[in-house]
Amino acid sequence: MEAYRIENVSFSYPQTERKALDGLDFTIGSGQFVTLCGQSGSGKSTLLRQFKTILTPHGKRDGIIYFQGEPLSVIDQRRQASEIGFVQQNPDNQIVTDKVWHELAFGLESLGCDQRTIRLRVAEMASFFGIQAWFHKRVAELSGGQKQLLNLAGVMAMQPSVLVLDEPTSQLDPIAAQEFLETLRRINRDFGTTIILSEHRLEEVLPLTERLIVMDQGRIIADAPPVQAGAVLAGLNHPMFTAMPAAMQIAAALQPSSHEAYPLTINEGRSWIGNWMNGKTVGELPQSADEEASEARIVVELKGIWFRYERAAPDTIKDLSLTIREGEWYCIVGGNGTGKTTALSLIGGTLIPYRGKVLVNGKDIQKQGLKERFHRNLGLLPQNPQHLFLKKTVELDLAEMLFDSGLSKEEQQRKVEEVIALTELKDVRFMHPYDLSGGEQQRAALAKILLMEPQIILLDEPTKGLDAFFKEKLADIMVKLTQQGVTIVMVSHDIEFCAKHADTCALFFDGDVVTTNRTRDFFAGNSFYTTAANRMARHLCREAITMEDVIRLCRSSH
Amino acid sequence: MRDSFAALHPAVTFGYFVSMIACSMLVMHPVAQAIALAGAFSYSVLAKGAKALRFNLFYLLPMLLIMAVMNPAFNHQGVTILFYLKSGNPVTLESILYGVAAAVMFITVILWFSCYNAVMTSDKFIYLFGRVIPALSLVLSMVLRFVPRYIVQIKAISYAQRSIGRDMSQGSLWRRARNGIHILSIMTTWALENGMETADSMKSRGYGLPGRTSFSIFRFDRRDGILLAIMAVLAFTMGAGMMLGTVSMRFFPSLKLAPVTGWSGAVYAAYALLCMLPVMINLQEAWKWKRIESKM
Repeated sequence: MEAYRIENVSFSYPQTERKALDGLDFTIGSGQFVTLCGQSGSGKSTLLRQFKTILTPHGKRDGIIYFQGEPLSVIDQRRQASEIGFVQQNPDNQIVTDKVWHELAFGLESLGCDQRTIRLRVAEMASFFGIQAWFHKRVAELSGGQKQLLNLAGVMAMQPSVLVLDEPTSQLDPIAAQEFLETLRRINRDFGTTIILSEHRLEEVLPLTERLIVMDQGRIIADAPPVQAGAVLAGLNHPMFTAMPAAMQIAAALQPSSHEAYPLTINEGRSWIGNWMNGKTVGELPQSADEEASEARIVVELKGIWFRYERAAPDTIKDLSLTIREGEWYCIVGGNGTGKTTALSLIGGTLIPYRGKVLVNGKDIQKQGLKERFHRNLGLLPQNPQHLFLKKTVELDLAEMLFDSGLSKEEQQRKVEEVIALTELKDVRFMHPYDLSGGEQQRAALAKILLMEPQIILLDEPTKGLDAFFKEKLADIMVKLTQQGVTIVMVSHDIEFCAKHADTCALFFDGDVVTTNRTRDFFAGNSFYTTAANRMARHLCREAITMEDVIRLCRSSH
Repeated sequence: MRDSFAALHPAVTFGYFVSMIACSMLVMHPVAQAIALAGAFSYSVLAKGAKALRFNLFYLLPMLLIMAVMNPAFNHQGVTILFYLKSGNPVTLESILYGVAAAVMFITVILWFSCYNAVMTSDKFIYLFGRVIPALSLVLSMVLRFVPRYIVQIKAISYAQRSIGRDMSQGSLWRRARNGIHILSIMTTWALENGMETADSMKSRGYGLPGRTSFSIFRFDRRDGILLAIMAVLAFTMGAGMMLGTVSMRFFPSLKLAPVTGWSGAVYAAYALLCMLPVMINLQEAWKWKRIESKM
């Protein structure tokens, strides 16, 4: 039995020539777990929204979509509402009511179910998802991960046969994301619900996936089980291959011909490397020059900081001390709720410690005036870039930053041009900031900050929700900035990104830095909190922390 | 502690508070007032604990005294003149007593309202009025979701602006005003854009289909029915007493209390039972638990 049959479907948005979807033709079997991936703008969301007529955007569509053998367009809204569940990216925006129990019942109320039915279904869902403990809570009290589980439960209560999910984990921290995906797997396995999921965190989702569809510019370029799809991408030398799990990339680099046997998980990767290295002596990693301890000037220094949000609240930051040097890329990593973001705000001076001192350029941040603090000194990029956008277009928005800078019009224009070039926003400069993709919004916000010419940039989870391609683009900009002597302090959950780019990493736990070290030594010293590549190869060489390191290490072994 | 009166069906608790607040506002007879004050005070302490006790003593008691003193300073009606003020106005016994009675009434009503607030949570209110107007229940629930959410969002935006030196608290007066308007503007755009996703989420879950029902987690059981009947009998007795003038009281020009008779005794007893109902329900349950625990 098939869930969907897509016959020669094309789609273009109004007033554009470009086809967002271009002649798609495939079927999705009932009970399949399908993952859809592709770069931002490849048409993933557009495709997912074709699966439920009420969510289909305006535009011109050709071809027919069949749902369970009938054309989707003739299936009434009531049946679509209950049979096709849809979960979006942002956990907060999807919640409608104020109480958990009401949110679970929302869909069933819409369908007009009676009290008894709703009570039963809600009870079933609460039990399946483990929601009993927070059943009576207000939704505002829930964590992001809980909110997204609630959204899923609210949809599942309507007993859909198909679940369509548009990047549901992109706003969650890694642990919550893992839990969410695990729940999806249970739903798929226990109820045979068809799952169609778009994702860019492929490392976790591919082991659960039976079929991976890769899109590029509105077309499908690979459609097969993950290992084979990966092989196709490797064969095409496609940029999407860089989003594949580390194990697969390492194997493909070392032995391109071993298509069918590409490893997927870390465990498989570990044994693959074990086989490959069989009988060889382990080579050595060349020491690179930038890894010597830096003697540059100290620009940020925290001395015995204590902080709490309210007088009666528990301490969020406990006796925190750290030093950051000029031109350094400093990453603060660690779990949720350990105080990372708070630490960043303390450096930025937006929060005031009740004990201890924050010195920026040798001077107490709280004693620096507005101009001193924000002109050629500090710039903080908030977690949600949307909180900075003010004007109709990106260019006007950037110009707004300089309105009282005292510079001449030409001078201002020149600066805006410079920063647009640096952050590669040329193509989107006349668009509304909200119409940009996540990665572009992040860069537009960064551009605004850069107009203040900061010497120290504070970033709060800049890679959240970005795909591999946009992450690299962001990293390139950061590298350019550090070369100009700019210091970067970044808070992140994304250890792969930190391992690849940071100079120094600090592990935050319980309001304090547990360990700080040069990135390589930092990850070599951790056994669990480390990168996928490192976990695969640390039995051979603890210092191999990135994929490139592992590949180099293996190549130098004979 | 757990308030077992609050666990009753919302219709029962709502009816209770409405009748209590109405009675305390309408009856000025000292016996009835004393009963109502005692009932409201003990339940507020029981329902909200030491915090209520502190509030009652530090805020309500001084308020009571001030109101009692203020009334004779401005109100000079009444026939029993005690002495004259420097301005030549008389201070009368009637106006002093009226001041005390008004203050007690005021405080009793405040106490009942504070209990109401603790017991009638938003979802109970929504449930009750959602049955009258179904669309209203969803709207109220959404308001309760979005108002706090917008407040959090405004804070986040203001915080983001502060970290680039453009918050309401930074810069010259003109800059501050400008920054404030910017924050509101950002907030509006944000709310409209993100509201689209909420709308999608609602549509996707069938919102707008005809025949929407309203689900609630409250159940009206036998105990609710029995208590509602008891309350009705008691309130009816009190109401009859009020209508017949059994519990009335006149302050001006001279004091006149309704006489105490067998009938009025019955009315006061009914009122006392009514006022102490939440406390009695709680005590009864506490006693039951003691007995169960001692057997375990």
